[in-house]
Amino acid sequence: MARYIIRRLLWGVGLLIIVSAATFVMFRVFPTADPAKLRAGRLQDHRVIAAIRHDLGLDKPILTQFWIYMKGIFLHFDLGYSYYSTAPVKTLILNRLSATVSLVLGGAVVWLGSGLAVGIISARKPRSRLDRFSMGGALVLVSAPEYWLGLLALFAFASDIGKVKIFPGSGSYVGLTSDPVKWFTSLILPWLVVAASNAAVYARLMRSSLIETMSEDYIRTARAKGLSERRVVLRHGARGAINPILTILGLDIGVLLGSAILVETVFDIPGIGRLNYDAITHSDFPIVQGTVLIAALFIVVANIVVDIAYAYLDPRVRYS
Amino acid sequence: MTRSMRTVALVALAGVFALALAACGSSSSSSSSSGSAPSGVLTPATEAQSGGKRGGTLNVLNHEDFEHIDPGQSYFSIDYEADTVTSRPLYSYKPDNFKEPVPDMASGVPQISADKKTITIPIRHGVHFSPPVNREVTSADIAYALDRGANPNVGNPYFGAYFNSIVGAKTATGGPIAGITTPNKYTIVFHLTEPKAATVIGALVLPLSAPVPEEYAKKLDAKKPSEYGNYQVATGPYMWKADSSGKILGVGYQPGKSATLVRNPNWNASTDYRPAYLDQINISIGGDTNVIGRQVLEGSNMVQNDTPAQAIVKLAYEKFRSQLEISSGAGDHYVALNNKNGPFKNVDLRKAYWAVLDRKAMDKARGGELVSDVMTHFIYPEIPGFEQAGGPAGPKLDFNEHPEGDMAVAEKYMKLAGYPSGKYTGSATVQVVGSTGSPASEDAQIANQALTSLGFKTKLNLVDQSVMYSKYCGVVSEKIDVCPNVGWLADFGDPEAVLSVPFNGEYIVNNGTNSNWGLVDVKKINKAMKAAELVVGKQARAEAWAKIDTELVEEAVAAPYDWSKQPNIESKNVAGVGDVANEGSWDYSFTSLK
Repeated sequence: MARYIIRRLLWGVGLLIIVSAATFVMFRVFPTADPAKLRAGRLQDHRVIAAIRHDLGLDKPILTQFWIYMKGIFLHFDLGYSYYSTAPVKTLILNRLSATVSLVLGGAVVWLGSGLAVGIISARKPRSRLDRFSMGGALVLVSAPEYWLGLLALFAFASDIGKVKIFPGSGSYVGLTSDPVKWFTSLILPWLVVAASNAAVYARLMRSSLIETMSEDYIRTARAKGLSERRVVLRHGARGAINPILTILGLDIGVLLGSAILVETVFDIPGIGRLNYDAITHSDFPIVQGTVLIAALFIVVANIVVDIAYAYLDPRVRYS
Repeated sequence: MTRSMRTVALVALAGVFALALAACGSSSSSSSSSGSAPSGVLTPATEAQSGGKRGGTLNVLNHEDFEHIDPGQSYFSIDYEADTVTSRPLYSYKPDNFKEPVPDMASGVPQISADKKTITIPIRHGVHFSPPVNREVTSADIAYALDRGANPNVGNPYFGAYFNSIVGAKTATGGPIAGITTPNKYTIVFHLTEPKAATVIGALVLPLSAPVPEEYAKKLDAKKPSEYGNYQVATGPYMWKADSSGKILGVGYQPGKSATLVRNPNWNASTDYRPAYLDQINISIGGDTNVIGRQVLEGSNMVQNDTPAQAIVKLAYEKFRSQLEISSGAGDHYVALNNKNGPFKNVDLRKAYWAVLDRKAMDKARGGELVSDVMTHFIYPEIPGFEQAGGPAGPKLDFNEHPEGDMAVAEKYMKLAGYPSGKYTGSATVQVVGSTGSPASEDAQIANQALTSLGFKTKLNLVDQSVMYSKYCGVVSEKIDVCPNVGWLADFGDPEAVLSVPFNGEYIVNNGTNSNWGLVDVKKINKAMKAAELVVGKQARAEAWAKIDTELVEEAVAAPYDWSKQPNIESKNVAGVGDVANEGSWDYSFTSLK
């Protein structure tokens, strides 16, 4: 197992190097705009542009630039600085990490809890009214764009602009350490919105996976041994059906940690996704590079965690 | 300057500046023409600049972030919102007046030598820097502020354009500039290599001329890039919230999250014309414009200080009209046609295009009459010369008569251009590069449709606005035929600031960031502009530049469509005051709570 984890970690590092190289090529070799001109501002004197190009190291040979860039990232975790605020990208990302992690992990708890529960109930009574209602609802939620759902939630339930003033609205997010109660209440609506479409997908996936699992021989054996139906479903059926869920959970969490742009924007949560969005709209390349790398890191780590979890949840899985 | 990212305008305010300063020395003498708006809608002209209630905290909800908070680098309307209340340049504009600057850090009008090569400016006594510097401002601080304009670590975008005539400026890199001297603590003198006093004086309303203490800033300016912005000290009534070392980043400014402006304890009201009613300004950055707009309109103590969503402007107009402000003179938009390469070298083709372009549809895409007027010539409202150049109707030329487009007139010019069928039959494919996002993309589509209606084959490419300027429309070698989303906003209330850079062939930048997007280079117009730069007297200047404006229309150098008006919204209990000089943005130093 240890060898497997080490191998996966090394693969992860390799993947990050490839992503770093790809972002370098994207933003340095084929940039959509000249970074020196962007940093300099419009109608800048050519001498100043040249000086800035020199300061940024953009006048060096491309391989030298690549070496400096990779050395900065992997030896010093130096992601550069924003062309606009001149703040270090590393600081900007770290300042926003907690908001995004709060949003995504909280949302994951909600969508896993609700999605799996609905999936299991539907799988136990397929084609029942409850099943049809649940799966119909899931279809609606999957189809609803997050942005629209977020606006709808705010206009319906936000304490400032909502029709029914229940939950804190946009811009109310505070950090967990500064006020845990406010942190929790400010995230209720965002969690529900993040969870809505994901819960629907997970419910449908759990339903189909569980229906298939419940027809396996080992389930029949469990029943023949006289176990209660509840134990058969939860202990044996659900455990066997959960592997495909885990696979997408790792990916979903990884992807969302790097790109929860819409929910963060609608609810004014200063997270990584919004940082990335703002950077893209301003062509602030160092920030885009940094957030892409962080998103890749999240996906790599989430997948390694999922792979390890397989071994614990499914005794048939053995790593060598 | 461009609409969203201020580009430079090579401006010479000419000798009229000194006369204007003298004329508006008393606060009651300024006459505003901040434009008209529908009944019940506020304008900078209708907002009271005195008698506000003191105290309270204003909450500003902005979708957009600052670009650069260092006054030496800022060149964007949102950056200027903070600069206006934290930094005092030598001269500045009162909220409802973009025509007559008033002394700010200066204590009087500039004295210009007979040869227009020496400028002497008296500096105000009793202005102190905010903590941790605390000491009184002297002329040396203004000299250093201007020195740093040439420092590549600071990256000021307009120093080269406005201040290159100062002795030693062309080769300066941040060290002392020989042509800026300080004979005593309260006098600064500029020595010029050529008689461009008016240009230099004109640029002194920009935040670069706000004082910077050398002993405090020098070590910060030595860093690449300069970190002074994140430690800056204030001279205005407000300062960025900072820790005891003066650090702002992470304290009073969290990029993409929030900013906090607090009162400058060293500000002396007797030295400033700003009333500064508020105790504090909390700026929240980010969020969706549809949500922000509703929060402002339905909440209290709030304003939005970037452009509200179109749906919110409509909502405000219909249901919260007393909370909506419209400021005219917020720049323009036009279709740049390549005058140097491709089919639009032909003036009759340009006239045909102007004639057929449905300018009304383009303005409607921007939100209609409330936020846009049909553009009929190039000097826009609020700028001297607007009326002389034809006012709202513009010059009476057949291709300018029908803003909804006139195919018959267009065909007439197509025939004159050598296309007897009235349609383009050449082989060229016209390359059109526009901007993504609404309403720019809609405008680009309409502009493209006008081309195809004349028989042109087109290749439309929509890219991000910054890419549009920095990779296509602003790069001469790209030879883009049509750029339908370019726009301009004057740095100064002077017609030269509107016409010079975008249309003077002398200012085409072949190896840098060019803002004469149509590569307009008409010799007689270049010559007329050079002569108009030297004209003295407000009326005479207005007339001289209005005449140039008419010549530009006669040459159909571009196809104009939008005189922009800036909408702003506020909560019911806010008495906002907008700055005409900064696109109508709320001025925190005049705004109060009711």
